[in-house]
Amino acid sequence: MRAVATARGTATALWSRVWGGRPPGGWLSSFGVLIGLVMVLPVWYVVWRSAFAGAERWLRLLDDRVPSLLWSTLSLAGAVTVLAAIAGTLLAILVHRTDLPGRRVWRWLFAVPLAIPPYVGAMAYIVVFGPRGWLMRWTGSTPLDMYSFAGALFVLTVFTYPYVYLVVGAAISRLGGTHEEAARSLGLGPVAALRRVTVPMLRPAIGAGAILVALYVLSDFGAVAMVRYTTFTSAIYYQMGGFDTASAMVLSVVLIALTLIVLFAEGVTRRRMRVTGHTTSRPAEAFSLGRWKGLALALSAIVGAISVAVPVAVLAYWSWIGAGLGAFDDRFWRFAFNTLQVAGLAALLSMVAALPVVYLRSRHPSVVSSLIEKLAYAGYALPGVIVAVGLIAFGVRHVPLLYGTAGMLALAYVVRFAPQAMQSAGASLALVSPKVDEAARIQGLSPGGVLARVIVPLTLPGTLAGGALVFVSAIKELPATLLLRPIGFDTLAVRVWVESSEAVYHLAAPPALLIVAMSVLPLKLLLDRFGKD
Amino acid sequence: MRSLISIRAWRSVLVALVAVLALAGLAACGTGAPEPVSTEEAPDTAAEATGELIVYSSRNERFVDPLLEKFSADTGIEVRTLHAGDTVVNKLVEEASRPLADIVIANDIGMLEHLRLNGILTSPGAVDGIDSIEDRFRAVDDSWVALSARTRVFIYNKDLITEEEMPTTVWELTDPKWDGMFAITRGGNSGMIGHVSALRNEWGDEQTEEWIEAVKDNAGAITEGHGDIRRAVGAGEFAFGLVNNYYYHQQLREPEDNNVGVIYPDQGADEMGAVVNAAGVGVVAGGPNEVSTRIFLEWLLLPENQREFSFASLEVPVNPEIEAVEEARPISDYRIQGMPLSELGEVWEDTRSLIERAGLDMELR
Amino acid sequence: MADIELRDVTKIYPGASTPAVDSLSLSVDHGHIVTLLGPSGCGKTTTLRLVAGFERPDAGSVLIGGAVVAGPGAWVPPERRDIGMVFQEHALFPHLDVAGNVGFNLPKNDRSARVDEVLDLVGLTGFERRMPHEISGGQQQRVALARALARRPVVVLFDEPFASLDADLRVSMRAELRRILKAAGTTAVFVSHDQSDALAISDTIVVMRDGRIEQVGTPREVYQFPHTRFVADFVGRTNLFEGRIGTDGRSVETEIGSASCRHTHSLPPGTPVVVSVRADSLELDAEGPIVGRVKETTYTGRAIDAVVEVERADGTTRDVMVHAHPEQVVVCGDIVRFRVLPDFVAVIEE
Repeated sequence: MRAVATARGTATALWSRVWGGRPPGGWLSSFGVLIGLVMVLPVWYVVWRSAFAGAERWLRLLDDRVPSLLWSTLSLAGAVTVLAAIAGTLLAILVHRTDLPGRRVWRWLFAVPLAIPPYVGAMAYIVVFGPRGWLMRWTGSTPLDMYSFAGALFVLTVFTYPYVYLVVGAAISRLGGTHEEAARSLGLGPVAALRRVTVPMLRPAIGAGAILVALYVLSDFGAVAMVRYTTFTSAIYYQMGGFDTASAMVLSVVLIALTLIVLFAEGVTRRRMRVTGHTTSRPAEAFSLGRWKGLALALSAIVGAISVAVPVAVLAYWSWIGAGLGAFDDRFWRFAFNTLQVAGLAALLSMVAALPVVYLRSRHPSVVSSLIEKLAYAGYALPGVIVAVGLIAFGVRHVPLLYGTAGMLALAYVVRFAPQAMQSAGASLALVSPKVDEAARIQGLSPGGVLARVIVPLTLPGTLAGGALVFVSAIKELPATLLLRPIGFDTLAVRVWVESSEAVYHLAAPPALLIVAMSVLPLKLLLDRFGKD
Repeated sequence: MRSLISIRAWRSVLVALVAVLALAGLAACGTGAPEPVSTEEAPDTAAEATGELIVYSSRNERFVDPLLEKFSADTGIEVRTLHAGDTVVNKLVEEASRPLADIVIANDIGMLEHLRLNGILTSPGAVDGIDSIEDRFRAVDDSWVALSARTRVFIYNKDLITEEEMPTTVWELTDPKWDGMFAITRGGNSGMIGHVSALRNEWGDEQTEEWIEAVKDNAGAITEGHGDIRRAVGAGEFAFGLVNNYYYHQQLREPEDNNVGVIYPDQGADEMGAVVNAAGVGVVAGGPNEVSTRIFLEWLLLPENQREFSFASLEVPVNPEIEAVEEARPISDYRIQGMPLSELGEVWEDTRSLIERAGLDMELR
Repeated sequence: MADIELRDVTKIYPGASTPAVDSLSLSVDHGHIVTLLGPSGCGKTTTLRLVAGFERPDAGSVLIGGAVVAGPGAWVPPERRDIGMVFQEHALFPHLDVAGNVGFNLPKNDRSARVDEVLDLVGLTGFERRMPHEISGGQQQRVALARALARRPVVVLFDEPFASLDADLRVSMRAELRRILKAAGTTAVFVSHDQSDALAISDTIVVMRDGRIEQVGTPREVYQFPHTRFVADFVGRTNLFEGRIGTDGRSVETEIGSASCRHTHSLPPGTPVVVSVRADSLELDAEGPIVGRVKETTYTGRAIDAVVEVERADGTTRDVMVHAHPEQVVVCGDIVRFRVLPDFVAVIEE
C-alpha cells in the first residue's frame, strides 16, 4: 500500500514538475492532449500505413516515380516561389513606398487574389487561354499553353503572390524610414538606399512570404490538376483511383518529408534574421515616381486585371449565361447549403478546439503544452490530399460511425484549418495579462470560472475572427472534400471541380463565383492579421 | 473614433456570421450527416426492402443521374449516389470490411473484374433478364454485367484527311509518316489501359512495348482524356485521334467543328479486329441494401433501361437485340478482337507497369 | 567660419497651421558641439532634419561648410551634404556586422584602414564581426557614432542619441561621446529634450520653443542666467520672483527681500523685472535674512529639496524651492532662515 502511495506521489510530483509547478486542471489537460492527438492522427496514420507498403514497392517508387515527381513538384514550387517573391515585393514597395496614384485602392486590390482559390483561377484562365478558349477563338492563337508547366506557373504565381505582398507590405510599414535615412546620411542616393538597406532588411519578410507560397504550391491540388500538371498531390489523388493505395501512402510520406524540410528552412531563417522593430520611427518618405508614373500605373492595372478583373469577369460572364439556363436551381442552393453546413461545423469545432490549446500554451507553458501546440499544427502545412488519405484509412477501420458522414469531412477541415483559429485566439489571449486571471481568482472564481467568465469573453473577438478564417478556408477546400464527402453530398467546390473538368462552364462558374464572394468578406481579417505580424 | 466605429461594425458582422455558422453546424450534426447503415443489423433486415440504394459511380454523372432518377420514379426506391471518378476503386477497397455501397457503376470492365478478383464484388444469384447479355460480357459469377460497349476507333477531320488516306490498322500508328498528326490519351486512362491489354493478348508484351514506344513519339499530343481529342480533331488541331467510338458520336452532335469521320481499325480478314471495352455495373459484396440491389439489377436489365444506359453516353448496347444510336454500328456488325473482357482485370496491373516501362506517361506532367 | 548656418529658415508641414520652424537663424562654429534643446514639438528635430536634408525649408537657406545646400533655387540631397548622423535608436543595419555598418559606402581602397581607425576611436576594436543584435546598447551607440564619423563629415548630427539608453549608461556615454567628438575635432549638433544631457555635452545650447530660438549660450549661461521664464523653467527648476532693479543697479528688490544680482542687463534702477533664483542659490543659514516654515521635504541623496513657505511684505505667503545639503536635518514645520547667493540670480527681461 505504501509503495503504491509513494509511487503515486512521485508521479504527481513529476507531473507537476513537467508543468513547472503549475499543472492545469485534469479535464483541461486531457482535452488538450486529446485535441493534439486528433490533429496529428491523419498524418501519423499515413506514415504508419506506409511502413506496410513493402520494401519492394518503396524501392520501385523511389527509383522511378519519386525522382520525376520531385522534379516536377520542386521545379514548379521553386519557380512559383521566386516569381511570387519578386512580384509580391515589387508591388508592396510600389504601394507602400511610392506616390503611385490611387494607392489606397491598389493596396486592397493586390490582396484580393487571396480570395480566389487557385483552382477557380485555373478554370477562368482555361476559359481565356485554353486551346479552345476565348483568345483562340478570337485571334486563332494563344500566348500561353495552359496545360503545361508554364500554365501551372502562371496560375499559381498570379494567385499566391499576395502572401509575399502582404507580409512584405506589413514589414515595410513597420520598418519606417530611419534606416534609409541613415543610408542617405552615409552618402547613398534614394534608390541605392532602398536597394542596399531596405530590401536586405526586408529579406526575412520576403522569405516568410516565399515559404507560405512554397508550402501552398506543395499542397495545391485543384489548380495543378486542372491544368493537368502532375505534382505529388495530384499523383497521390490519382493513385487513389488505382488499386494501389499503398503507393499513395508512400508518395504521401515523401511529400510530408518535403513539407517538413520547407518548414525547417523557415525555422532556420526566422532564427537567423532578427530585425528589431522601430516603433518610434517615422514613416519612410514616399518616392516620387516622376516619369515612371505611367509605367507603374500600367503595371498595377495589368496585375489587377490578370489577378482579379479577368477571372471575376469570366466567372460573372458564365454565371450570367448559367443563370439564363437555370443554373441557380434547387440543386445549386442545396450544394450551397451543404457547403455552409460543413464549413460552419468545421469553424465551430475549430474554435472549440483552439481555446484549450492556446490557453494551455499561454497560461501553463511547459513541454507538454508546447508539444500539444506543435501536434495541433501538424495538419496545417500538409496537403489536404494527405489529410484525407489518412482520415479515410483510419476512419473506415476505427471510427466507422463517423466515416462517410459530414462530420468526418468537418474533422478534415478542423485538422487542416484549426491552427488559423489557434493563431487568432492566441493573439487575443496574448493581450490579456495573466494578472487578469489572478485578479479573477482573488475575486473568488474557480479556474473553470476564470476560463468561462474572463478568458472566453476577452478572447472572443479573436476566436470568432479565427473561426471566420476557418470557415472560408473550408468553403474553398477541394482535395479532402473530393475524397471525404458523404454519399450524395456535394459542396460548391466539388461542383466547380466536376463541371469544369467537363468544360461545362455555365454550371462551374456560379458556385465558383459564390465561393469567391464569400471569401472576399473576411479579407479584412487577413489584411489585419498580416499587418500585425 | 472612426476606426473604433468600424471595428465595432465589423465585430457585429462577425457575431452574425458565427451565429449562422453555429446554426448550420448544428444542423449538419443533426440531419445533414447521412446515417451510415451498420452491417451488424444487416442479417435481420437483409430480406426486407430498405427503400434505399447506394451507388458508387466512376462514370460521367450526366450519363448516370437520369437513369437513376428513372429508377427511383419507377420503383420508389431512393438512390443516393457518389460520383467520384476513379477514386471509387480506392473507396470500395478501403471499405471492404464495412461496405457502404450496393452497386458500383464503372466505365471499364477491367476495373470491375479487378474488384471481383479482390473480393469486393459478389454474385447476385439468379437475376431475371441476365441471359439477355452474352456470357463474354458478364463475370463468371455474374457479379458484374457489361451493358454498353465502346470500341476503339479513329476519329478523323474530313477537312484534313480523306477516308482513303486514313490508316486502317492500329499498328500503322507507328509509321513515321503520321508524325505529329494524331492524338492519344495518357497511359493511365482506363480506355488506353484496356486497349493495351488487348494488344498484349494479340501481339505479346515485346511487340506491344515496341508499339507504345513508337506511338508515344509519333503522337502530336498526349491528352488527359478522350474529350480533348474529339474536340481537338473537330477543331482541326490534329488530323485524327484514337478514341472510343462514342466520342465520334458526341462530336457529330456538336453545333460546329463536326465534320468528322470514323474508322473501325483492323477489319481485314486476317486482322485482329477492333478492340472493345464496356461499361457496366457490379454488385458490392455485403452492401447494405440487398433487396434494392436485386430490384435494381432486374430493372436495369429490362430492354428499355439497357437502352437508356447506353444511349445516354452514345455507346452501343452490348445486347444485340437493342438498337444502337443512329450512326453507331451495332456490335455484331464488325470484327472485334477476341480477348474476353473478364481477362482485363487480371492483367490490369501488369499492363499499367508495361505502359510505364515503355515510357508513355501515366499522368500528364 | 561657421560650419553650419541657418538663415531665416521656415518650415511648415503640410496641413499644419503654425510653422514647425519659424524664420530661425543659427550658426555653428567649426569644432563646436551644439545642442538644440526644448520640449517635444518645439521644432528642434525639424531643424536637425532640415540640416540633414530630410526636410526642405519653405523659406530661408541652409549652408554647410559655407555652401548653400537648401534655399531658393538650391537643393543638395542628404547623401551629398557631407554630414554624418546618429539616430535615436541607432538605426544600425541589422543585416550587416559591425565592420559592415561602419564601412558602409566607404571607398574600397580606404575602407578597412578607416574602419579600424574609427573603431579604435570609439573603443570597439575586436568587435568587427559581431552582428548588431549581439552587442549591448552602449556598444550599438558607439557603432552608430563610428559609422557617422567614418566618412569624415563636416558635421555629425545626433537625434536624441541618449533616449534609448538607461540612466547609468547615459551618464557615462555623455562623457565618452564628448571625448570622442573632441578627439576627432568634429562639429556636432545634438537634439535633446533632456536638460542634463544638454548641459553635460554641449559647448553651446540652443533652447527652442514653438519653432523659434528662445536663448543661445553656453551651458553655464543658459543655466545661470536664463533670459526668459521659459528657459528658466525648462532648464532646471527655479523660483521666479517679481521685483524692481535696486538703486545700486546690482541688486533686485523682490517680494521677499533684496537679492544681489550680477546679471541685470544694465537695466536702470526701478525697472520692474522678474528674477529667476535657482533652488541651489538659496542657502540655509541661521543668519539669513529670509524666514519661512518648511512645508515639504524630499530627500534625494544628493540634496534635500525643501518647499518653504515664506511671508511676503504684504502678509501674504508664497512657496519657495530651496536645496539643502543632505547632511542637514530639515523637518516639516521647522522655521528656517536662508539667504540668496548671488551667482544664480538672473533677471529675466519681461
